[in-house]
Amino acid sequence: MKVLRLPKSPKVLLGLGILGFFILMTIIGPWLAPYNPSATNFAANLTPSAHHWLGTTSLGQDIYSQLLVGARATMVVALLAGLVATILSVTIGVAAGYLGGLSDDGLSLLSNVFLAIPGLPLLIVIDSYLPVNSRSNTFVIGLIISLTGWAWGARVLRAQTMSLRNRDFVEAARIIGEKRHRIMFSEIAPNLLPVLASSFLFTVLYAIGAYVTLAYIGLTSTAVWNWGTMLYWAQANNAPLSNEWYWFVPPGICIALVGTGLALVNFGIDEFINPRLRAGGLTSRQRRKLGLPRRVRLGLTPVLRPAKAPRVSTAPAKLVSQ
Amino acid sequence: MSADTFDIQAVSPMKEGPAERKGNAVANVERSEFVLEVNNFSVDYGVGENMVRAVNDVTLHLRRSKVLGVAGESGSGKSTLVYAMTRLLRAPGVISGGSVTLNFTSRDDEKEFTTLNLVTASEKELRKIRWSHVSIVLQSALSALNPVLRVGREFDEVLKTHRPDMSKAQRRARAVELLTMVGLNDDRLARYPHELSGGQRQRIMIALALALDPDLVIMDEPTTALDVVTQREIISELHDLRSRFGFALIFITHDLSLLVELADEIVVMYAGEIVERAGASELYEAPRHPYTLGLLNSFPPLHGPRRELSGIPGSPPDLSDLPAGCNFYPRCPFAMSRCENEAPALTAIENSDRSVACWLHSSDSSVPVPVELSRTVNPARNPVTTLKERP
Amino acid sequence: MSEAVLSPAQLSARHLTRHFTTRVPGRFLTAKRVVRAVDDVSLDLFEGRVTAVVGESGSGKSVLARMLARIVTPTSGELVLEGSPIPVRSKRTLDYAAKVQLVLQDPYASINPVHRIRHSLERPLLIHGANKGEVETLAKAALSRVSLDPPERFVDRYPHELSGGQLQRVSIARALCVKPDVLLADEPISMLDVSVRLGILNLLRGLCDDERLAILYITHDIASARYIADETIVMYAGQIVERSRGTALVDEPTHPYTQLLISSVPDPSDPTSQDPQKREHATFEVANVGCRFAPRCPFAMDVCRTDDPPDFIVGEDHTSHCWLHASEPEAAVEVAPPKRRREGEPTKA
Repeated sequence: MKVLRLPKSPKVLLGLGILGFFILMTIIGPWLAPYNPSATNFAANLTPSAHHWLGTTSLGQDIYSQLLVGARATMVVALLAGLVATILSVTIGVAAGYLGGLSDDGLSLLSNVFLAIPGLPLLIVIDSYLPVNSRSNTFVIGLIISLTGWAWGARVLRAQTMSLRNRDFVEAARIIGEKRHRIMFSEIAPNLLPVLASSFLFTVLYAIGAYVTLAYIGLTSTAVWNWGTMLYWAQANNAPLSNEWYWFVPPGICIALVGTGLALVNFGIDEFINPRLRAGGLTSRQRRKLGLPRRVRLGLTPVLRPAKAPRVSTAPAKLVSQ
Repeated sequence: MSADTFDIQAVSPMKEGPAERKGNAVANVERSEFVLEVNNFSVDYGVGENMVRAVNDVTLHLRRSKVLGVAGESGSGKSTLVYAMTRLLRAPGVISGGSVTLNFTSRDDEKEFTTLNLVTASEKELRKIRWSHVSIVLQSALSALNPVLRVGREFDEVLKTHRPDMSKAQRRARAVELLTMVGLNDDRLARYPHELSGGQRQRIMIALALALDPDLVIMDEPTTALDVVTQREIISELHDLRSRFGFALIFITHDLSLLVELADEIVVMYAGEIVERAGASELYEAPRHPYTLGLLNSFPPLHGPRRELSGIPGSPPDLSDLPAGCNFYPRCPFAMSRCENEAPALTAIENSDRSVACWLHSSDSSVPVPVELSRTVNPARNPVTTLKERP
Repeated sequence: MSEAVLSPAQLSARHLTRHFTTRVPGRFLTAKRVVRAVDDVSLDLFEGRVTAVVGESGSGKSVLARMLARIVTPTSGELVLEGSPIPVRSKRTLDYAAKVQLVLQDPYASINPVHRIRHSLERPLLIHGANKGEVETLAKAALSRVSLDPPERFVDRYPHELSGGQLQRVSIARALCVKPDVLLADEPISMLDVSVRLGILNLLRGLCDDERLAILYITHDIASARYIADETIVMYAGQIVERSRGTALVDEPTHPYTQLLISSVPDPSDPTSQDPQKREHATFEVANVGCRFAPRCPFAMDVCRTDDPPDFIVGEDHTSHCWLHASEPEAAVEVAPPKRRREGEPTKA
């Protein structure tokens, strides 16, 4: 891959910062939590205080602990679902795009069916068939969410593959005798990394939403703490009506922040794919200092004042042998 | 080889130029000899740390109705030069110095010459001279012509914008006239660009460029994408058009043998600088710069015995990592130790109208000039007169 | 007049034809139009010889190369590899890939940009049976063979770090890794800088002489063909219109198209270059009946508009697809047996 320069865009840095923060929370959250989130031995409905930073629930549980511990399940399921869905979409999308013909027809039919079926109802149906004990298994939940989230990525990747299929380097691989599956996954797929990354981020976003929704409706086991379950309990105990904002607002904000982080990083990937979107390496402050207009208009090449001397290499030049 | 084809620009103290050419105060009448004067022009990509200088301190002057050929390969800066000259260069290109002066007659008064520095001109002033005094023909007509407009509509738009007083019928008549001029049938007006061949599209680009009878036409590799037979037709067309309309022409290409036939004067560019400037036949028969020699030897001949040629070793220069001395030093078969650390300036050659940027030809050089770079032009034999001298 | 056959051809093409059917929108229905991209082309590639095919875009030269590489299936005709005929409908085997390789025009596009150069060289080696252990050495040897020295400097680079000329050498090195007998090169220098082109041509010539490869060099630039060719073929609109040993047809072109081509090339040393007619050539217009070049030919006769000419012998190992030479004494020789190098077969009506 091309050397990945650290992105200078403030949008991307902010996004990465937010995501980094939550990944940190996922890893060390349960250790940081002051109390057991399920312990009900505290006074109920306490407002935020020094002992309970976010107060307590109607059952006397510490909300802050719930938030910290809940981060893990939420993020793990979202990331897992994103990963599995992306793997599925690469396999199916690239194969459909490269193979063409009947294989393409079949695989496209498959992805179209999954696209057409509304995700959430399908999830609910599949979930309701799960045996109760596996509803607490985050991996299983992650897997079934990924089942409903791969189809869109597959379509995008299929289109990209079809445009790459006729490129010279693919033809060259065929000419030297490379096998089909190696061409698809070793030659074409790495060229799709930016699109893949973007697709992955979108899918994670979708997965968080799906998981939280499932938990909110009560379809996941309440034994596993996650932000959606917090909202479930908050709703069940009329927290919004009784103005106990400290119960449902924090998990809501966390979900929103993760989503924002993902979207911001996605902007960065767009700029990476399309160099013209980049700021041209200059911040607006630098531009003003040099007397350049804020936006460069077509047909009006900017003029620098005063002229700068060219930079000259100090390395000794070597004669090319004849 | 005549002296009236181009201007002598004494850049270094090694040669004294005629006294009246020095100094800035040039009378209006004398100035009008030149349609374009580019002085110390520099163009960068990017600013600051990652800045790359694509054109470095280029000076050239073009007389009316003459043809200037700009030859070079990738990294030479030839395309950047002309796009920046006309302020058409896209971001992150930036003009970092110099001036580009266009001398033209305004339409109302033929005798009155106006001078405009394109570098400092405002958008309004640029719009006034664009297309009516300076026009440009690009390499790929397919990307320059609007694919959803019929060809006739393109002509209509151009004429409507710049000559609002023409009626629709007059515009159509002018479009037909222009097409006939470039050898196309007027039924081409009803076509879309993709329905035409590459050669036809390029002729349309030329017709559009001449629609307002400009003083200067710039062509950036207009025939590179065309087959050699179509290229020959179009070049021949150009000669006729030039003799009819008298516009000056800047022709950019990597095909030096084409320029020798077409141009009056040729500048050879390397790594953003002019390395040699001479009359076309002079350059071909008696090159002075090692790069020019190498370039001329890179074209296998169509006639004569088959010998092994070698081109130029190495690769085109990396503009972000140029050597400290002469840019061509790493690839030069005649390099001296001086060349490694000192960059030669473009200097006029004694008793001639040519310039070269090479230490081999400096008056204080201790090394004799190699035989290949000191040929003389045989005045009795001047084979390159065919197309240019044709009535 | 014929030379003794030196050795059997490495690769022969016999009457290769490729038609494309396109749909042309009409008023009510779409009409079918047949584009004859390559029409009845036969040629032989011998070891240690460079065969140059010269033609403009649309002449069918690239389709011909792809048919010889077997990545495009001919509509009819046959291929003979080292004496054994290849059934045209069969799949391309690894064995064929090991013997016949193709180098493409655009060096920037023909090497995968996300992998290092090492990967692009290792793949053909591994596919064709090299051990993992020797792969590194063989890859470096291939780079040295194409004068990318020292190979260590290039093996770990990414394609965007190399220049066009260097990339094209990598492309050739990749083809050489397979150890082919036949190397097909489709316009290998047209996208390169002028000063770099000769280096690649010299490399191809060197490979031909040293490694006894059979090389097919496709180009639109007749001067470069003249530089390295042992046999020159000129194509127009899918057909071979003139062919000669060495570069005889450049010095004495006998077909009007070849003459037009040569006179159109900018040649400052030749003061006698012709001034072409000014009228717009309907370059799309290729005749479907009779000689394809007739609409553009300044010497077209009545017979040219009705009958496609056969190949006439106009010199030693020099044939021309033109009715102008019908009065030559040795005109219209009978079909020669496939293994002889002589041409002169009249096309069957």
